[in-house]
Amino acid sequence: MDQIIIGYIIKELHNGRADLEISAKDDLLGSGLVESMGMMRLIQFIEDEFNFKVAPEDMTIDHFMTVEAMVNYIESVQFVEHE
Amino acid sequence: MKQLADMLDQLGVKKGDRIGIYMNRCMETAIAIYGIMYLGAVYVPLDPKAPIHRTNSLVKNCDIGIIISHPPQRKKIENIFEEDNDLHTIVGLPEEYAPHYISWEEVYEQSSNFRPGKLIKPTDLAYIMYTSGSTGQPKGIMHTHFSGLSYARLSADLYGLNENDKIGNHAPIHFDISTLGYFTAPLVGATTLIVPDAYTIMPASLSQLMAKERLTVWYSVPLAMIQLLQKGLLKERDLSSLKWILYGGEPFPPKYMRALMKHWPNAQFCNVYGPAEVNQCTNYQIPTPPVDNEPIPIGDVWAETKCLIINEEDEVVQKGKQGELLIHSTTRMKGYWQNDVLTQQSLYTHTNSDGKQEIYYRTGDLFHRDEQNRLQFNGRKDHQVKIRGYRVELDAVEALLVTHPAILESAVFTVQNNDSKQIQAAVILNESTRVDKNDLIAFLKQQLPYYAVPEKIHTLDAFPRTGSGKIKRSEVKKKCLEI
Repeated sequence: MDQIIIGYIIKELHNGRADLEISAKDDLLGSGLVESMGMMRLIQFIEDEFNFKVAPEDMTIDHFMTVEAMVNYIESVQFVEHE
Repeated sequence: MKQLADMLDQLGVKKGDRIGIYMNRCMETAIAIYGIMYLGAVYVPLDPKAPIHRTNSLVKNCDIGIIISHPPQRKKIENIFEEDNDLHTIVGLPEEYAPHYISWEEVYEQSSNFRPGKLIKPTDLAYIMYTSGSTGQPKGIMHTHFSGLSYARLSADLYGLNENDKIGNHAPIHFDISTLGYFTAPLVGATTLIVPDAYTIMPASLSQLMAKERLTVWYSVPLAMIQLLQKGLLKERDLSSLKWILYGGEPFPPKYMRALMKHWPNAQFCNVYGPAEVNQCTNYQIPTPPVDNEPIPIGDVWAETKCLIINEEDEVVQKGKQGELLIHSTTRMKGYWQNDVLTQQSLYTHTNSDGKQEIYYRTGDLFHRDEQNRLQFNGRKDHQVKIRGYRVELDAVEALLVTHPAILESAVFTVQNNDSKQIQAAVILNESTRVDKNDLIAFLKQQLPYYAVPEKIHTLDAFPRTGSGKIKRSEVKKKCLEI
């Protein structure tokens, strides 16, 4: 799941730059890797790709600061939905 | 701050030297700004999101030898060092990495009793903020201690700010909206909350922070507030502490203004206008929620400021007629760094009714006064636009495109995309060349700030022109959008 998200960030938000490497623990928000317009597109992508709606109260720094945080969030939501 | 000044003094920094600041939103920006000014040097805020070439052109343009930075920018700093410039020392990076790095830890070991040897005069430079010119060449707007302090005094008075106020600073320091939080607040002893980058990206977290900190003043571009409105969960936040909502940089769509005023009924909303050359020069307090979608007026000039509306022949227009706005103010810049020609072109000397000569700044913005004598904005004289509050010279984007070997001619225009303005470009290719549009965008991204890069590039065989051969950009736009 990490790779799907990282792939989107590099391809869609950074034009597929070959020299860009992003790890799951990198701070995306503080580093400028994802800025506000990009974040809106990324959230839309996550909703489409993983088939759920990100609740407005979940659009917080804790859930979106790193790819790892996003994956944890997505999995927690999917877990709830499967119950 | 004195420790940083001491360190800079030991590095041989003299009064008037330009020192770069290359950091995200963080506490150290305040230390850097005041440490530099305390020594009598001039701070030059550099946007860490700008392409390296552009940053390098600013570093060269005003002879920056030292940059204040921090670990998150290490990679980019290394790239800037590799460029051709006279940079020799970085304060804020661990010295293990390079001989010319000095860490913040070492700064904090300096004496906090440092006192600079030379006196600072009001006419001495305090900071230089860069904006782009129509040829793409950077323009360094020079502000003195006098103009900076004038802005701080006037804004403190107008908004009645004091030590009980808490100002939310959203803007990065290379944007003059930051001067409220960095200059005005310290003047009156108010607190400034430097909003970290992460909060500017996640509106739900930002609104939570604003409520938790009980901010009394918020000053930002409209976009930040529109994001709060749409995704910031404002219904769940108690932001009743807000007394003043100030916005600048772009017009505020009335429909969003209405919605925000409903959420924050106790706050006063003000439209703040002013090119960076004069910081702020007008104020308009919105009396009641807008009833229609007419643009919110600019209002009138504030204290210590006079204005003229003049026509093409530099004559004052008749009441109600449109013309270019000229501003005379204590907040006016000194001029453009090492560009007397551009400085002279931007200024206008007027003889007032007492026979005295006064210098006005030519804003390049068109205005007229309405029936209620309020200033109403009517667009630009030239091809400059605002994207997310930033000035973009469309001429510069066009000029840059034409430097690409595959491109013969270009015409750049803007498109209104929902609530934001977007730049798009039309190009005519050199005969029998083909070019990948992604390559063109990458080419532009290397030299332009992200907000100035066209979102889309269209290829046309020819441009619609006027009888005298000038490109009809509105027709080009129509052609591109039809395809």
